[in-house]
Amino acid sequence: MPKDGGSIVQIRDLSFSYSGKQIYKGLTVDFPRGKITAVLGPSGTGKTTVLRLIGAQLRPDSGTVLFDGTDMNSLSRRQLYSVRKKMSMLFQSGALFQDMTVYENTAFPLQVHTKLPSEIIHDIVTMKLESVGMRAAADLYPAELSGGMARRAALARSIALDPELIMYDEPFVGQDPITKGVLVELIADLNSSLGLTSIVVTHDVREIMDVADYVVILAEGAVLGQGTPDEIRSSKDPRIVQFINGDYDGPYAFHLKGSGDYLEEL
Amino acid sequence: MADFLGFLGRYFLKRVAALGRSFLMMVNALCARPDFKRHSILLVREIYFIGVQSVIIIIVSGLFIGMVLGLQGFNILKDFMATGSLGTLVALAIIRELGPVVAALLYAGRAGSALTAEIGQLKASEQLSAMEMMAADPLHRVIAPRFWAGVISLPVLSLLFTLVGIYGGKFVGVDWLGLDDGIFWSAMQGSVDLLDDLVPMVVKSVVFAIVCTWIALFNGYDCRPTSAGISAATTATVVQSSLAVLGLDFVLTALMF
Repeated sequence: MPKDGGSIVQIRDLSFSYSGKQIYKGLTVDFPRGKITAVLGPSGTGKTTVLRLIGAQLRPDSGTVLFDGTDMNSLSRRQLYSVRKKMSMLFQSGALFQDMTVYENTAFPLQVHTKLPSEIIHDIVTMKLESVGMRAAADLYPAELSGGMARRAALARSIALDPELIMYDEPFVGQDPITKGVLVELIADLNSSLGLTSIVVTHDVREIMDVADYVVILAEGAVLGQGTPDEIRSSKDPRIVQFINGDYDGPYAFHLKGSGDYLEEL
Repeated sequence: MADFLGFLGRYFLKRVAALGRSFLMMVNALCARPDFKRHSILLVREIYFIGVQSVIIIIVSGLFIGMVLGLQGFNILKDFMATGSLGTLVALAIIRELGPVVAALLYAGRAGSALTAEIGQLKASEQLSAMEMMAADPLHRVIAPRFWAGVISLPVLSLLFTLVGIYGGKFVGVDWLGLDDGIFWSAMQGSVDLLDDLVPMVVKSVVFAIVCTWIALFNGYDCRPTSAGISAATTATVVQSSLAVLGLDFVLTALMF
């Protein structure tokens, strides 16, 4: 289990179901402070749901989510919003505000939460854009950006308030190999230079294993395996082996569960 | 039979739950410390989108409704040798009923549907979630300014509709069909009362503004975040607002006149 610095997020015995479908049952997992934790797992296991549960955008049926020692579900709406200033999330689509430029998007959290004069906001925004290499695109609108640029702009926005925790929701989906490399570098750089904690939900195993300090594999509503990337690579569990190697058949069968007798159906 | 009852019960429960969610949305959106400096910019922008951009359709519709009312009224009153009452007829019909009701129906179609689609799109593209995670409450930044913009805009649009409609009736009755100018206006002046006619009209349009805007915002905020969900929500907005306006109009008329 994680050592130095303890855990920034602790999920205890959490159950969650969505429109009648049980997504998590008794999930218990810790996310170590100051590290990059990769959350891996097959599509449809609700990896993104974990992030929304941590941000308390979704409420669990039972169990607790502690962020920095605070139970996220015991807070009033107002307290919740003040805790959320310490975390940020990079959405799969980027979720940039379409009617604002990249600059305005990045300045948005600062304008909402601080009373800084506009010159200082300008300096902060410029520094944030520089750190993701997007300074030249400051005056572009999101519709004019490529997918990778949009994600970098969204990243600049999500670090604007210097959060303690940043959650990445599928950052590599639909990106070309170069952009993937850039994003991996950015995640690693920001984590070490800003001293924050990163949780990366993804199924791009190879990309993230290189930079992650800790790996959690979720499947079937619970933790299938966790440890350092080396521990995971040397795991003997056939389900983990299949997932890491990307074998098409194994414990997770190629044919979906519930497929009836083929000959019969023909 | 049991199936049907079950279906009815589930439908009813779903409606009640939605009603509850819509109340919560409004309470959370409106019960907040106002931040005039930041929110007035948002409000002005929304009044432009909701109100100012609806002016053309309101003026054109008002003009034609007034004109058609003048024409029909003149032809009917002529048989009774009572064309002198045309001013009264046009003014009372438009002020009491047509002005607030037709303006609200047009508002629901023009601005309400746009509001629903816009908020649904913000939700589908995760922009609302992004705001929540940035600790900027979308109810305060997205819902509240649009609500106030609607509540301010529709009464003004209704008054504009009424004004243009009365002039439409005058164009037909006086300028085209030859009714005397003085008779038209003096009949109107003699029958329209500030407290009995104009105040109820403003009350009506404020009620319609609250209801239509609320329906539009809630349908957008509560929609399924897919393209089919947004289109269903937009349709629901227009249908529900139109029915609500017509139903409430009857109730308000019965109470106030």
